[in-house]
Amino acid sequence: MSETIKEGVDRREFLATVAAAHGAFVLGFWVPSRAAAQSAPAASWDEEPSTPEVNAWIVIAPDDTVTVRIAQTELGQGVWTSNAMMVCEELQCDWKKVRPQYASANRDARERAPEWTLNVPGSGATDPKGGGEPTFGTRDPRGISGIPDSLYRRMRTNAASSVKDGRYYLQLAGAEARERLLLAAAQRWSVPVAELTAKDSVITHARSGRTTTYGKIAEDAAKIPHPHPEQITIKSPDQWTLMGTEQKNLDVPQKVTGKVVYGIDVRLPGMKWAAVKTCPVYGGDVKSVDFDVIRTLPGVRSFVRFPIPDPDLTRGRIFSGGVAVIADSWYQAKMAIDKMPIEWTIPPENAAFNSANMREALLTALDRPGTVRASQGDIDDGFRRAAKIVEATYSTPYLPRARMEPGNATVLITNDRVDIWIGDQSPQETRYSAAKITGVPEQNVHLHLCHLGGGFGRNGNGPQAEHAIMIANANRGVPIHMLWTREEDFVGTTYRAMGMARLRAGLDADGWPIALEVRTGMQADGFGSDASFNTTSRYYVPNYRYTHHTTKFHVPVGTRRGVGQAANEFYRESFMDELARAAGKDPYLYRRELLSRTTLPYKNDMIKALDLAAEMSGWGTPLPRGTARAIALEERGAETNGMATISAMVHTVSISRDGKVRLERVDVAHETGFGLVNPLSVKKQIEGQIIWFYNDAMHQSCSIADGRIVENNFNRFPISRINEDPPQINIRFFPTQHWLIGMGHDRATSVQSGIGEAIFQITGKRFRDLPYSKHDLTWA
Amino acid sequence: MAFDLTVNRTVYHVEADSQTPLLWVIREHLGLTGTKFSCGIGQCGACTLHIDGRPVRSCSVPASTAVGKPVLTIEGLSADGNHPLQIAWTEFDAPQCGYCQSGMIMSALALLQQRPSPTDADIDTQVTNACRCGTYHRVRQAIHRAAALMKAQP
Repeated sequence: MSETIKEGVDRREFLATVAAAHGAFVLGFWVPSRAAAQSAPAASWDEEPSTPEVNAWIVIAPDDTVTVRIAQTELGQGVWTSNAMMVCEELQCDWKKVRPQYASANRDARERAPEWTLNVPGSGATDPKGGGEPTFGTRDPRGISGIPDSLYRRMRTNAASSVKDGRYYLQLAGAEARERLLLAAAQRWSVPVAELTAKDSVITHARSGRTTTYGKIAEDAAKIPHPHPEQITIKSPDQWTLMGTEQKNLDVPQKVTGKVVYGIDVRLPGMKWAAVKTCPVYGGDVKSVDFDVIRTLPGVRSFVRFPIPDPDLTRGRIFSGGVAVIADSWYQAKMAIDKMPIEWTIPPENAAFNSANMREALLTALDRPGTVRASQGDIDDGFRRAAKIVEATYSTPYLPRARMEPGNATVLITNDRVDIWIGDQSPQETRYSAAKITGVPEQNVHLHLCHLGGGFGRNGNGPQAEHAIMIANANRGVPIHMLWTREEDFVGTTYRAMGMARLRAGLDADGWPIALEVRTGMQADGFGSDASFNTTSRYYVPNYRYTHHTTKFHVPVGTRRGVGQAANEFYRESFMDELARAAGKDPYLYRRELLSRTTLPYKNDMIKALDLAAEMSGWGTPLPRGTARAIALEERGAETNGMATISAMVHTVSISRDGKVRLERVDVAHETGFGLVNPLSVKKQIEGQIIWFYNDAMHQSCSIADGRIVENNFNRFPISRINEDPPQINIRFFPTQHWLIGMGHDRATSVQSGIGEAIFQITGKRFRDLPYSKHDLTWA
Repeated sequence: MAFDLTVNRTVYHVEADSQTPLLWVIREHLGLTGTKFSCGIGQCGACTLHIDGRPVRSCSVPASTAVGKPVLTIEGLSADGNHPLQIAWTEFDAPQCGYCQSGMIMSALALLQQRPSPTDADIDTQVTNACRCGTYHRVRQAIHRAAALMKAQP
């Protein structure tokens, strides 16, 4: 059902072309082309070093340039810098000469992790030297539900966990290299290693006054194994000199000059372009296409029909089958596919879904008994004794990531090798997919990782890799660059599931809750559906019951920034505001009192966060008419005694009489735990998440009609601009005594409840369905 | 079809349909990939470049529009990344993923060329690029800093 391009580039010819054009050195290892648009500093993927590596993370060149291999993907969160900081803290090298580079996912398929990285301590919550709680429970070669034993361990980038899961062994990698550099110098000078010190890439023997540099000793160090790597320890936060300081992101100079290579920028000799259309109703497939209609259009080469990607490769999600048109340029491919007649086979049961009947289905599910996830006390007795009962039902829509860079990948497949150039949050999974689709073993799959133009969820890229691999597999020998249109990106992404919640509280005569029943509803495969409701109530209530209620919908859902927690925070904190109003109490003091009544292990840190945010905001001081403040707590993990991340925010919001909302000011109190790796990155992530959840609160939703996603480009799926950015964002950190879980995805969820509460204070109207922009926000 | 384009002070001979959007000629034929594709409908501004000193969403104008007029892209902003906008952007560590930033910087350049001392309101109305990472807070500060740097230049 497809036509393949006849004039393929054979590997040998391709290599010759690359070598001739770019002077690449090819020696038993295929060095991928640097595309014409890439200068050397911008090339981000693995290259064969000219000097031997000290260990798999570190290469030191004679001029002291330190290349640090990064196993996580840079998608704006600053991981290239923070991971490098963790390595270099221990390496004690000159930070000004550090150059990050992506770790090789191919080596990761072929080599086992060094023993000294394998036994990382967990449960480091109360131990400043602890390894935190990396997801080491299961060892999973695909890196889905655990961390593999392969060379770079965790290569995925998700769940705000790069620091949590990587810190211990990244610090160890730096320490192991430092110790071996010192050993090499000690051997060269025949002095005891204990007499040497290392700082800024210089090794000094104080007694003899001798010095050398890492660059001069690295080749020796590469040959000297450490006799007892298991005895090497990492620094605790009080010993940090680089970690904990504000460091600008190392790749910013490339980002302000247009030199960063994203997947979309990859260019290879002989490369052809593919534009794609998939069935707009998930689960659908191509019935027929008429390629003859477009066969003679300019640049058009061929087409490929591809099936619904194997659900085994997409974690069980059912996307759509589709067709690709291949042409000399992407625009030609896109113009041609738009003109090609395509008929779809659409499953009628999926086409029957629309937002209204899905909402009805969720409401019906909420009425059913549900699955009990937490139950404390006697909820029925609590309600019987209540002086007042408050009930509210909230909803959140389907939400995509809508990263700025549409899905893409460049793939070259020959009979014994696969090369993929891609921005990817889960390269170990993509490697597996490539092997499955092509039959080429994973050991021969080479991923050349690129920066991502936004991430916002590990599987948010959907089947971009699988599409491109299937298309290239039908055109072996030809590098194919597949690029989705924005509209296709809305079909190819996974969504945060549409959700509903019904919260019901019984208040005593003083307005304090004595019974709380929480019901959340989501499709069964929704992510994080019970996050932070499932242990106990954050705010004290003696009788608590949490049930989860599921339905079955056809939209593929996944881990979007904040996952289910973001929706649950909207439900909970909105309801707390409603309870405080019903009790006639101040929403800050109401929360504070209820926190203080709990026995939660980190309740004092939570109270500290609330107090600090309130104080920063001038809580209680008068505001002009049309302006209001709202407060909320944000935490993950604080109900247990492990790692946690705690913050509180006060949102100051104005609304004009004609209903125009402005988030005027955000005051943020955020804990540091034992230490933040790069506080500047943390600030930027907080600022970014304020905008993210502002958009969730105010503007964004995807509705379903006839089984299709309706809002599929930025004209109908609005993204706020600089004119809606809060004029004031104040961030203060306060110290706490545990390790943080991470803060890249569930901070600033309180913007949602905060704007809702401000709307209520100003207009008297309470809206419980997001986004708020669809409601009448005017007031008189 | 063939036509000439002058981009970043270099004349390029292009063999393409002149109705091809300028973005795709710049990215595919000229290999200047700093200008980005995102929405394809002129909404988000990731593809912003200058034609004859004016900011244009290049995904939505045919290449023929630029024939005979100077085109400026992020690659032509400075020889070595030291344009005041680039210095200011770096100083505030403005980019996150960076994908929209080429267009954002080109919009800011147009603003500063028109209004060397922009107010916040000027920024609000003229820098209308979308950023999904939410870098606006630092972008605003960087624009004000760049304005100051540009005025300090001889």
